[in-house]
Amino acid sequence: MNRKMLYLAGASMMALGLQAGTAAAQDCSVNVGTIYPTSVDWGRPIAETALWVGEMINEAGGVDGCEVNMILRDDQNDARVGVDAARALVDIDQVELLLGTVSSGISIPILTSVTAPAGVMQMSCCSSSSRLTEIAESGEARGLWFRTFATADVQAAVAAMLARDAGIQNITVVYKNDDWGQDIGRLAAEAFEAVGIEVLDQIAITDAQPSYRAEATQALRGQPESLYLALYPVEGISFVREWIGLGGTTTMIGANSLKSDDFRTTVGLENLAEFTGTDTSSPRVQSAADFIEAYTANFDAAPSGPGLANSFDAAAIALLAYHAAGRDASGEEIAAQVSRVTDPAGEPIPATVEGFASAMEILSGGGSVSYQGATGAVTFDANGNVSAPAVSWGFDDSGVVEQSYISLEEVAAFMASTN
Amino acid sequence: MIGLVSYLTFFLTMAGIMAIITLGLNLHWGYTGLFNGGVVAFFGAGAYGTMILGGPSQPDQFGGFELPYLVALGGGVVIAGALAWVVGLLTLRLRHDYLAISTFGIAVALEAVARNAQWLTGGARGLRGFPRPFEDQIDNNFLFGVVFLLIVLTVLGLIWLSIERLVNSPFGRALRAIREDEVAARALGKNPVRLRLWSLVIGAAIMGAGGGLYVSYTAFVSPQDLLPILTFQIWAMLIVGGAGNNRGAVLGAVLIWGVWTLSGFALTRLAPASMQIDAGSIQYILIGTLIVCMLIWRPEGLLPEKIKKSQPMTARKAASNSTRE
Repeated sequence: MNRKMLYLAGASMMALGLQAGTAAAQDCSVNVGTIYPTSVDWGRPIAETALWVGEMINEAGGVDGCEVNMILRDDQNDARVGVDAARALVDIDQVELLLGTVSSGISIPILTSVTAPAGVMQMSCCSSSSRLTEIAESGEARGLWFRTFATADVQAAVAAMLARDAGIQNITVVYKNDDWGQDIGRLAAEAFEAVGIEVLDQIAITDAQPSYRAEATQALRGQPESLYLALYPVEGISFVREWIGLGGTTTMIGANSLKSDDFRTTVGLENLAEFTGTDTSSPRVQSAADFIEAYTANFDAAPSGPGLANSFDAAAIALLAYHAAGRDASGEEIAAQVSRVTDPAGEPIPATVEGFASAMEILSGGGSVSYQGATGAVTFDANGNVSAPAVSWGFDDSGVVEQSYISLEEVAAFMASTN
Repeated sequence: MIGLVSYLTFFLTMAGIMAIITLGLNLHWGYTGLFNGGVVAFFGAGAYGTMILGGPSQPDQFGGFELPYLVALGGGVVIAGALAWVVGLLTLRLRHDYLAISTFGIAVALEAVARNAQWLTGGARGLRGFPRPFEDQIDNNFLFGVVFLLIVLTVLGLIWLSIERLVNSPFGRALRAIREDEVAARALGKNPVRLRLWSLVIGAAIMGAGGGLYVSYTAFVSPQDLLPILTFQIWAMLIVGGAGNNRGAVLGAVLIWGVWTLSGFALTRLAPASMQIDAGSIQYILIGTLIVCMLIWRPEGLLPEKIKKSQPMTARKAASNSTRE
């Protein structure tokens, strides 16, 4: 027992001592908690992107004149570790703003047991579960929850629109067997049926399987004239290769997760002529190209991997809202300012250091801005979900090409007509 | 300062839940020699059981019976025990590593069930909205944390006392006899199959209590909570603390959970800014190194098992009991 007490006492002394040390080093600073799975290969660049935004905001003058101190914790992709990290950030570092995390299975317990009860704002780049919408609707999230990951319903609706316009009669839905895949698979099947397309089968793909021949055979049984793929590149490649090998159709509609060079080169362009993808963001806006350029300049590599643009926007919007709310703001006050950062009627500002600086000036003056981020001009609905326009895309020699642009109004009208 | 106290309250709550699960594993491994590689399955059965019995009802979803807290928690414990009974009937003929592999497989299978049986478990999205005990009555977030810690400590205390009584009873001595030498135990008239099954069921029920408490704190459970890492953590806690000693099990739980989480916290303070992005990976190395060092320097654990000479009275009674059987 003595050992335990000593240990805890030692840890707490260390915490106190170090905290005093950082506070004395500069005039003022605001702590911002960041929890991402940095020890997971795809999680690391997401975290790096968020930290980079912190640097940019500091260069632009900091949050309300105070230096942003981004405190990064790893969630190890483990809910208990993530919740503990969140508690430490909220209790000891006294953060009022928490960025994170990727996995919904971790973001949700953090929201329900840490940030919402403590009144801390939480913004995630990448959590996709529809449970989060339910939590926001029930009032449990107290308006403190936001995410820059567009929910699956827009993509599912756009897929149904594309299928209807292509005159497809029947389709088989193949989805990744996780929270995102189950959600988008179910929503897509509902949307297809709503526009009169017969859904022959819905097949779950569990990742890290050596072969998907059984699933491909199952999909082939109904002889579908087209396939809907809500898969990530790794499973997507194995499944589609089995599928084409067995003589399946090449008429395919895919989610934005398949927007990958690996998928294009490994499956082969000759098999992807009739492939159409959906995505929610609008790569047409200049800001998206600016993001890619700035990212490449900063990291010496083009952004590759899921969630980077979303992570950038989550950090930028949250920090600008923090600035608008002031250095001593509570989480609720920061959350209340998000709409001033993403006001469609506000002054459009680009996602650069200069842009941030001018946005801060306008926000301090009581005005509102329309942040033009890496995923376009983001706006949030009452449940903290992004509403965004959509695009369809395909593959060609050079990579991914955009095929058509579907405005926010068209998407909303279509979704209203199917509900 | 209140923040620090608040965090320590939370830390002890989580460590307490871990300690409960470790006590369950101690009954399995420490006292009976059952190599349970599927700790997380029983934790999960308790967590999902409690959630399904006590959670709110939701459209198109089985469960959501909104039973009172203690009934839901008790139900979770019973479900975990029942799972262990079925698992035990199927696997207890196996010994050592074979038992470990089969229980590990059962845990993986259970995770797959939780991920796919959407009508029962909500699938990959999990189940949410468990009414946290007393949260409605307590306005203050800090006070809620303290009350919840007291609940966890009460359960931990009750389980501790029960296990201590159990392992010091003739039943407990019979378990240890099986652990040491099954043939000899059988020669003395003990029924190893039945005793091992009971040990598995009781230990699993205790793990289920840990799962139930966990879900009533986070108000959410998903297949992500059923990953094998929990099994590994609990084993590390028991080995480092000392198998066969309940004090060791609890100490190990607090220590390992402390290292696991505080190492991440410490790195945010100590590692230079340029290395913060690597802190997560460094943390893994630290945790692994510590466990390996413990295994090298104190393989018997910090507080190893103490074999007490049994009191002559009980021993005599036990002897007469066993001759009667």
